[in-house]
Amino acid sequence: MLFDAFLDSFGIFAQQPILMLMAIAAVAMGIVLGALPGVSSTMALAILLPLTFGMAPGVAMMLLLMVLVSSVFGGSISAILLNIPGTPGAIVTQFDGYPMAQQGRAGHALGHALIASTVGGVLGVIALMMIAPVIAKSAMEFRSPEFALLALFGLVLLAYTVEGAMLAGLLSGAIGLMFGMVGFDTMSGVARFDFGSAILQNGIDIIPVTIGIFGITEVLTTLSASRHGALPSVPKIGSLIPPRLEIARVWPSWLRGSTTGTLIGAIPAAGSAIAVAVAYALERRFTRGEARFGKGEPRGVAAPEAANSALTGGAMIPLVTLGIPGDSMSAILIGALIIHGLQPGPMMFVEHPDMIGTIYGSLMLATLLTFAVGVVFLRVIVQVMKLPTLVMMVLISLLCMVGAFAIRNSLADVSVMLLFGGMGYLMTLIRIPVAPLVFGLILGPLMEENLRRTLILSRGSWSVFVERPISATILALIIMVMLLPIIAHWRRRA
Amino acid sequence: MKSTLRRHLILGLTTTLLAGPLAFAPAVAQQFPDKPITMIVAWPAGGAHDTVGRLVAEYLSKELGQPVVVNNLPGAAGTTGVRQAAAAEPDGYTIGVMGLHVVAQTYMNASATPFATLAPLAVIERSPAAISVRTDSGIDSLQAFVNKAKSDAAAIINSDDGPGGFANISSLLIQKAIGTTFATIPYQGYAPAVAAIASGETNTTTVPTAQMIGLSNSGDVRILAVAGDVRHPRAPDTPTFTESGFPFVFQDFVGLFTPQGVPEDRVARLEQAVLSAVANPEFLATAQSAGFIIAPDGREGFAAFLDRQDNAVYPILEESGLVIVNQK
Repeated sequence: MLFDAFLDSFGIFAQQPILMLMAIAAVAMGIVLGALPGVSSTMALAILLPLTFGMAPGVAMMLLLMVLVSSVFGGSISAILLNIPGTPGAIVTQFDGYPMAQQGRAGHALGHALIASTVGGVLGVIALMMIAPVIAKSAMEFRSPEFALLALFGLVLLAYTVEGAMLAGLLSGAIGLMFGMVGFDTMSGVARFDFGSAILQNGIDIIPVTIGIFGITEVLTTLSASRHGALPSVPKIGSLIPPRLEIARVWPSWLRGSTTGTLIGAIPAAGSAIAVAVAYALERRFTRGEARFGKGEPRGVAAPEAANSALTGGAMIPLVTLGIPGDSMSAILIGALIIHGLQPGPMMFVEHPDMIGTIYGSLMLATLLTFAVGVVFLRVIVQVMKLPTLVMMVLISLLCMVGAFAIRNSLADVSVMLLFGGMGYLMTLIRIPVAPLVFGLILGPLMEENLRRTLILSRGSWSVFVERPISATILALIIMVMLLPIIAHWRRRA
Repeated sequence: MKSTLRRHLILGLTTTLLAGPLAFAPAVAQQFPDKPITMIVAWPAGGAHDTVGRLVAEYLSKELGQPVVVNNLPGAAGTTGVRQAAAAEPDGYTIGVMGLHVVAQTYMNASATPFATLAPLAVIERSPAAISVRTDSGIDSLQAFVNKAKSDAAAIINSDDGPGGFANISSLLIQKAIGTTFATIPYQGYAPAVAAIASGETNTTTVPTAQMIGLSNSGDVRILAVAGDVRHPRAPDTPTFTESGFPFVFQDFVGLFTPQGVPEDRVARLEQAVLSAVANPEFLATAQSAGFIIAPDGREGFAAFLDRQDNAVYPILEESGLVIVNQK
């Protein structure tokens, strides 16, 4: 029944060429909007939302889903080519994507991102179609204690995988945690560390931070290198298709990333930044051998890209099973459904199975179209790497400014962006890695909120963490990860 | 000769055209608005404020003959967007969208814009507070809930949307109305609070009706009572608090405001345009099918409504230690 509706939605596209053209246009628009720093997938949807009010509900959903899916991939383009994340879901793609581009492998990096996105997208939709109720049920087992420990797990994984000096990495992570404490306390509503400024009340937004700490830092580093007469030469682009051997090495990352993305997407209100942070941390910890994370490791591109695309399907799970948004993007989809008089939630399977079929079909088609349009698009867009380095730097600075401003038309975000840009440069000079700071900023507030809520719910008892099976498992993993280096050290000495 | 004539003609016509606006200056001044109007929504796209705001914007632009552009400026519990709208040029070209959060933030946050410094334009939508329980709790009426809360207070764990949020204030006011207390746990907004009752981390929630329909239809959650004057159109079987024997009416709302100091003729034009936009049958049909309770009122009515809201909210905020500025 549902599967019929899913197939029917493809039939509708095949019969109506105009719909197909609209879909292709929407996908192209999504890629461009996603690639523009500051214009997130959520914003791309918000831009399109009023246009869909007058459309038939099915067509409206289709267009929104096309833009959503393609913008998630679009975000990786600016991350890889410019070292600026186009969307929150792309904040870790650049850790390895940009170094790859600098090594003359921009094409490969984008190719990896596109393939991983497509695989992640398809797997996410399949999971949504086949096992949504199961995932929804296990996502329900994921409550405050599990969330708190998941965030802690991410932080621990990270601490042990920082390049070079571990202490410097921990310091950077701790700075990130501290910045994560700024703003309204989610439990009591008290403003913390706002120094009486309205700007800081909302906390430090992750997007201007990543734009500054990667984009501006990169510009400053390049400029100081050019003063010493060592302007890096313009990197080559290379082919879009990654070498076959490399794909053979990378494909497990697609599956790991997709699983992480689907599961975290299914947890309401978790969000893509958390999914990619966890996917990347897992990837770094659980791949052995020749991996060179942070220096252009393709798996560092593939895993988070698979995760953020799978997340789109995963985020639909709470939408169709509970009628609540999995992230800020599906919140807009719910708004679009409601305005057409459709109530998202479990009853939609009974009342409007055709709409469910349309959602599934559009998601699948959007993923495939993104791949097709992406292949054409990337050939053009990688040409930006042919610009002389200094011109590139001007372009990056400009996009950093515009991107930070575009988040909510506020100069405050631009100041935050510049501040972190300067800070990132100084940290780079004294060899403190900046990536852990970003992780601290993402995972810290998540851990704090859920830890405190857990303790309120358990009336102050910490035993809840070992009493619940999933949280006990995560806790065991955390302890294991922490003990491993000690055991390894002890065995080497023995 | 011919070309000279043409040149004169063009010159003359151009001058007339240029002079036109000058000659009719007073008439043009009445032609407010003559450029697009910005509507600032202090919450993210897709929520109730955004959806109602965009619907109104669509019909308002037909009334005014100018585009009404919605701009989402979320952040800091809605204070960021409200502050920006309040600080805009008072020329009538900026409209803000507000809800109960503005009244609460007036007392909770020194950086928030006090609601008294805004110029209320019109209230559009009102949605009553509600309380829902998990069906597996066995509680099937408000009276049963009250009995349970009185006999075993620890059995009830409520999820709300964080300090100063509508669901949070609702839970505090409901505790007063039913004369007993229960634990209420803060979450970051409606979605996680609904997810919490869906997962069983909590067993009741004070998130309002519209967000609960999905879970209520599937039978996972029972909406016990709504705090409206009448029943909620989306949940016609759910009684009001008053019907259940606990007289209590408390509503969130979506209203429009302008900065103070907008010329009277422009405010009047906007008010009239908004009220006729929301009286449009097409608007009403769309809004009702989306589950919004459209109960419009103009400037005076909105101001009086805000005062009633203030009187309801202030004492409970003060009791809960949330009043840190603008003490009465």
